[in-house]
Amino acid sequence: MKILVVDDSATMRRIIMKHLNDAGYTGTVEAENGLEAISRMEGVELVLTDWNMPVMDGMSLVKELRQNPAYSRVPIVMITSIGARKEVVEALKQGVNNYIVKPFTPSILIEKIKSVIEVTA
Amino acid sequence: MDIRFVNPFVIAVSNTLTTMLGKTPQRLAPVIKKDNFAQGDISGIIGFAGKVVHGSVALSFPEATALKIYEMMVGEVQPKINTDIQDTVGELVNIVAGGAKTDFDREGLDFHISIPTVVVGKNHTIVHKGSSPVVVIPFQLESLPFSMEICLKMEASLSQPSRQARVVAAG
Repeated sequence: MKILVVDDSATMRRIIMKHLNDAGYTGTVEAENGLEAISRMEGVELVLTDWNMPVMDGMSLVKELRQNPAYSRVPIVMITSIGARKEVVEALKQGVNNYIVKPFTPSILIEKIKSVIEVTA
Repeated sequence: MDIRFVNPFVIAVSNTLTTMLGKTPQRLAPVIKKDNFAQGDISGIIGFAGKVVHGSVALSFPEATALKIYEMMVGEVQPKINTDIQDTVGELVNIVAGGAKTDFDREGLDFHISIPTVVVGKNHTIVHKGSSPVVVIPFQLESLPFSMEICLKMEASLSQPSRQARVVAAG
């Protein structure tokens, strides 16, 4: 499964990709902001994106993908330090399929990803 | 600055490191900062601004602490502070600010957080947003020290904490 990990922190991308790899998801690619993510979307089956990023933030990326017929149905999981109710509601309203608040454990990350894959399959 | 509003940041530091490292840092007694010098060799700083609450928070680490935290988080050893360590410190302060924002949100206090900046070097300075006193909270992670600095201003007419905030402060 080709999963795109979008985060401006290289450390966080490395941690997420390690957890994905340990869980058997080996086809991961990465981007450090929303704009770079759009250029890497070819063949991507799941997007994991941070919210607070320079150049193009995660919410702008979600809006772009949901308005693009080629990617409008690709599942998106927001992984962010922002867990305030208003932001969670806004993200879900814009088309995010699930929401993970940093810090997270590996099991939370993988459970939520599996849940999204099951629901959107 | 009302010290009770420091609690969400302290809780966020503890929650972040406990979840990501499996180790809970020990909080020591807070002090008011007298100058702009950082306590560590690398510091991550993030600003926040809302209608009621605004200011900045910083995490400052001696080199040995920053290297150990990176090793515990990523599973790789780095010999000295480099871009990977800077990135990690920036991400940690971002997660802490986000955690505190979530707590403040439960009290109806909303604010935006900025992109973090990271400063490196012996005796570097940390310039906080605003003129409020800077509170330094020292921590120990196992035997390794680090500190959090908070400079926070609440608008006076709206700074009375709710019942829930008082319970957290008392705990």
